Amino acid sequence: MWQVAPAGDRALLVTLGRTIDPGLLAQVLGLDQALKDNPPAGLRSTVPAYASLLCHYDADVTDPARLEETIRQFEGTVKGAIPSGPVVDVPTRYDGPDLPEVALKTNLTPAGVIEQHAGREYLVYCVGFAPGFTYCGALPEEIAVPRMASPRLRVPAGSVGIAGRQTGIYGVESPGGWNLIGRTALRLFDPAADPPARFKPGDRLRFVPIP
Amino acid sequence: MIEVIDRGRWTTIQDRGRSGLERFGIPPGGAADWFAASVANELVGNEPDAALIECTATGPTLRFDVDAVAAVTGGRVASIGDWQAVRVARGSSLAIGTIAPGLRTYIAVRGGIDVPVVLGSRSFCQLGSFGGGFGRPLAAGDRLRIGQGIGHEPLIEPWPLSHRLPVQGPWEVHVIGGPQTDAFAGDALERLAATACRVTPAIDRMGLRLETPTLRLRTQEILTVPVTAGAIQVTPSGGLIVLHVDHQTSGGYPVIATVGSADLPLLAQARPGDTVRFRIVDSIEAARAWRRVSGWLAHDP
Repeated sequence: MWQVAPAGDRALLVTLGRTIDPGLLAQVLGLDQALKDNPPAGLRSTVPAYASLLCHYDADVTDPARLEETIRQFEGTVKGAIPSGPVVDVPTRYDGPDLPEVALKTNLTPAGVIEQHAGREYLVYCVGFAPGFTYCGALPEEIAVPRMASPRLRVPAGSVGIAGRQTGIYGVESPGGWNLIGRTALRLFDPAADPPARFKPGDRLRFVPIP
Repeated sequence: MIEVIDRGRWTTIQDRGRSGLERFGIPPGGAADWFAASVANELVGNEPDAALIECTATGPTLRFDVDAVAAVTGGRVASIGDWQAVRVARGSSLAIGTIAPGLRTYIAVRGGIDVPVVLGSRSFCQLGSFGGGFGRPLAAGDRLRIGQGIGHEPLIEPWPLSHRLPVQGPWEVHVIGGPQTDAFAGDALERLAATACRVTPAIDRMGLRLETPTLRLRTQEILTVPVTAGAIQVTPSGGLIVLHVDHQTSGGYPVIATVGSADLPLLAQARPGDTVRFRIVDSIEAARAWRRVSGWLAHDP
């Protein structure tokens, strides 16, 4: 059952599940599309992430009870499918400062870590945290390592990091606590572009090692 | 034109922000104390979406090469009659100086500050290094053009004391429980509301870290969820982070409660050592608080 809870006095958070699961993301995207196709009165914007959808509303037009009722009409009926777009190549130079440490923790060689990371297709689950930051999954269990104990204050844009069963790409220079294993020159965030972020939830990508 | 002679501590161009772009990782931004900023625009007769200057802790020194009408609101400054429209003569300088009590002061200039609109707003976005005219805080030598965003005549009277929010703590801040209520013990929200929280030095437009030495809430990280301004995140070590207007758009710490929109300006004025108490309200009471404060703006005093 979906959980619908207030996120302050201007937003409701719809939680569809609690795991990294393509099926849940598909439902989130399905609900997002359904609300876009049939916009409830007062709904201002939505923010998808993994297994939840944040719905910002205009409190002068609607109230949380009324909006929840509208959202719940889609529960059980929303069609969930990941759009079948192309797999985007992300050319990546695997020279991140944490690659040796990740190799040590996973009993692999650095080349083994790269092989595990680059050898598969990932699904984009969320663009969030900072402009253009792209959360992808699922990372193979073999190279899943926890977040760093103390985050870095500055991580360069384009850095490729891993944390738990996730891998992500930093869209802009920002603080960050993920283990950095590589870097891409692909531009993930451009305020002059439309849309300003290169990826969106539901996109597919693949890291391609470059020298 | 207005020339920046001294930049102050952290001075940026802000307006009402850019909402609706969180799905790209872009925070809503805009003036941290939306109420003081709105009053400043109202005093000089600007349109509500006119851009103005947000000062932090120590304000800038500005030189005007045209006659202008300005208003200074928010955190108190000794340098100028605040909360009222004042004439600034061509060739004169406005030195804001130290802000106290309060942390953020707004300078509105009749016509607004005319910097390019980026993604729907003139606000500087720190996380993305764009907007605000220069993609950075103001620096000495920057020149600002005055815009055309005029709505009505400047107000003659000072803004009434009865229609201002307190810029000095201790504050009582209204919160609505959730959304991740179930990540905490059943009595956690009541215990939070019973605790005086102290503001630490770790405060900026992205968020404020609070200390609660007598309260330690137990929780764990959760699957990444979208978050809003006002969200009170609890870290695994029991620390509190209240997200503000330039917040990260998603996070993995559970949110025990969310500050109501009407009270976000209070946190924009908080300084290290100030005390905040949270009072739990429902959405009806939060809406009432919003109507009360926004109502002060809707009807000219």
